[in-house]
Amino acid sequence: MNATIARQHDESWRARFQEWWFRCRSWIGFLFILPWFAGFVIFDLMPFAYNLYLSFTDYQIGTQGAPPWIGLENYLEIFTKDKLFSKSMYNTVYYLGFSVPLRLIFAFLIALLLNMRVRGMELYRTLFYVPSVVPLVAATLIFAGLLNTRYGLFNHVFLLVGLPPVRWLSSPDWIKPSLIILSLWGFGAQMIIFLAGLQSIPSDLYEAVAIDGGGGLRRLRHITLPLMTPTIFFNLLIGVIGGFQIFAQVFVMVGVDGGPLGAGLVYMMHVYNKAFRDFEFGYAAALSVILFSIIFALTVALVYTSNRWVFYGDGAEDAA
Amino acid sequence: MYSLRLLRVILALGMLLTLAAAPSAAQDCDGDVIELEFMNWWGAAREPLMNEVIMHFEAENPCIRVINQVQPWDNRSELLATAAASSNPPSIIMTTRPETYQFAIQGLIIPIDAFVEDQGTDLNVFYAGEVGIQYWNGELYGLPMPTAGGLTSMFLYNKTMLREAGFDAENPPETWQEMQAMAEAITQGDALGIDVMGIQMHSSNLDEAFVSWLYTNGGRYVSDDARTLTFNSEAGIETLAWMLSFANDINGGIENERDFFQDTSFTEGDHPWYDNQLAFMPINTSVFGHYNNNDPDGYANADHWGVMLRPYNGDNPDGAHAGITGYGFSGGWAYTIPRAHPPEIQEAAYKFAEFIGVHPQGGCAFLFAQSRPAPVKECNENPAYYDANPHWGTVLEGLATDTPIPITPVQGQIAEVIRGHIEEAFFGMKSAADALNEAAAEGQAILDEFWAEFDADM
Repeated sequence: MNATIARQHDESWRARFQEWWFRCRSWIGFLFILPWFAGFVIFDLMPFAYNLYLSFTDYQIGTQGAPPWIGLENYLEIFTKDKLFSKSMYNTVYYLGFSVPLRLIFAFLIALLLNMRVRGMELYRTLFYVPSVVPLVAATLIFAGLLNTRYGLFNHVFLLVGLPPVRWLSSPDWIKPSLIILSLWGFGAQMIIFLAGLQSIPSDLYEAVAIDGGGGLRRLRHITLPLMTPTIFFNLLIGVIGGFQIFAQVFVMVGVDGGPLGAGLVYMMHVYNKAFRDFEFGYAAALSVILFSIIFALTVALVYTSNRWVFYGDGAEDAA
Repeated sequence: MYSLRLLRVILALGMLLTLAAAPSAAQDCDGDVIELEFMNWWGAAREPLMNEVIMHFEAENPCIRVINQVQPWDNRSELLATAAASSNPPSIIMTTRPETYQFAIQGLIIPIDAFVEDQGTDLNVFYAGEVGIQYWNGELYGLPMPTAGGLTSMFLYNKTMLREAGFDAENPPETWQEMQAMAEAITQGDALGIDVMGIQMHSSNLDEAFVSWLYTNGGRYVSDDARTLTFNSEAGIETLAWMLSFANDINGGIENERDFFQDTSFTEGDHPWYDNQLAFMPINTSVFGHYNNNDPDGYANADHWGVMLRPYNGDNPDGAHAGITGYGFSGGWAYTIPRAHPPEIQEAAYKFAEFIGVHPQGGCAFLFAQSRPAPVKECNENPAYYDANPHWGTVLEGLATDTPIPITPVQGQIAEVIRGHIEEAFFGMKSAADALNEAAAEGQAILDEFWAEFDADM
């Protein structure tokens, strides 16, 4: 009798706990994301809001008290007087326009190769990923050596095969291509994501194509590519966002002026120079707000258009 | 047993002495030892030298302790800007002349005239040009450091290469024309550009190179009141046109010149100079120490290398040997004192700045160890310099030709504009006259805006 009462008591407590848990589950969920959310507010949102405020001021290093409010003056100067704004934006978009697609294609092709069933594949995968764990500055310094006009490997190979040497880092025409070549070096992260995507494609789909007499190209075109579009989209988005913020490799390879005729002066370098060379922090803040707006707009546009070409397998692409 | 007792007695005596000494030291310092954070870029071989200087300073000033904070060269501007603007900056910092002016006008550093007077510092011990360029708006903001002078007035030359090319190695070129003739004879090319270079016309700072040559052609960068840019004069256009023709006709263009020096560093010892691939090289006074470190045998052989003054335009009666000082990033360094500290720290910082500036065991010893000149005249008169640097007489002669350049806190922005236009001329995108006229127009607009704001605030 007592045991029954105790069991009923226990079950009643369990039921009440489950009911409470059910009611509060969303709050508990919020509790779990609170550390991230607090970090986001303190380290992202608040600095962003402050940066936005600074962009409307003439805040310079050493400004005592509240920086003088100048409204849209920084923005007007950027759009009407700042020659380096358009130049650095052009350089960045040029870099982005070539490096992002090339890197995507390169990473995808390597991922396809690494998805084959070959002996020792683990070793190949490791070898192809290793460049991605080399620190960016070290990789950039290695490339600067390889691209050296007089002593670099590239030009000596060119001479051996009868091609004229290229002034990779001293000619304004070759600075951006050099940076694009360097960008291919760190394809490993994208390759791993592609590889994960490739391995999640059900094998029965390939078998179905094989039964229908389809070869490798058909499999690629009708199965692999459509099912990989979410992964391609993700890598594209990350690539575009990262490409706009290119800085360290340019800083190391060609310096703060962006090399000859400023051919390698990318947007973030311009922001850096304004802040830490000219000490015009308000102006630099305005430049960074513009960059944020561009990246935000592009991201929205990419997400919007993704409905037309990204296959999520849930009919979303049909809705578009 | 006996030795144990003796040890106890010694230990007890030691403790007694320590206890007795502690209050007396505290008494000397009024109970406080002031700590100074010294933010500087005297890295590599210079760090132990600076530590030695600090040790001597602390021996003379037991109530002041100096923390030697050597900073990495990378991201220097960023580090300095954030440190200077913080509420707790270092007690004393190394700044370039444009930075000194920038921080001065923004109230981040203090003028030191009052300390100079209180401590009885004799500013006449400095070369007039060295200390003169540390004034902004009539107030002195820093005591000068080396590298302010001797930045552009001299060239190293390779006597061995001159002899091999059939020239008199003991009579280096005096004029542009003589130098050009030698360069033509020495320079050799290969499939990848220049293999042996006669003369390095410029470093990466094209504007600084142009202004340096401008002064050897009787030109001036700016008016004495720093309000009107004058570098686009006839002398200026002639100077740039000559530089362009030299780069194109003798060195095969600026790309060839830059490729020749790509990824090399005189400091690191992989510079073409060390391989007898460069006959004439513009120097600043830091090269003697680096040369001695990287190639002690070559440095010790006075028959192998020499120092000459920067050649002048022999066709211009106003042309003369000259150097400039305090023009740009690399010139006119000073030790400056941030405002954010209480007066006793500022005073202690000044004492340290004075010590590393003028004291025989301070700046004099520090610079002598690097075979480079001090901004203090008396330090450079040390006869031992002639043993440490076989061409010391020419070095002193070069320092005497230095001309201080009047600049403003917006110098960095103006220099950037000039550099951009001159580079376009080097790449054949515009003529020398167009480049300088456009640079002067843009630079003058920046200068006018600055002075308009400055005058309005006064």
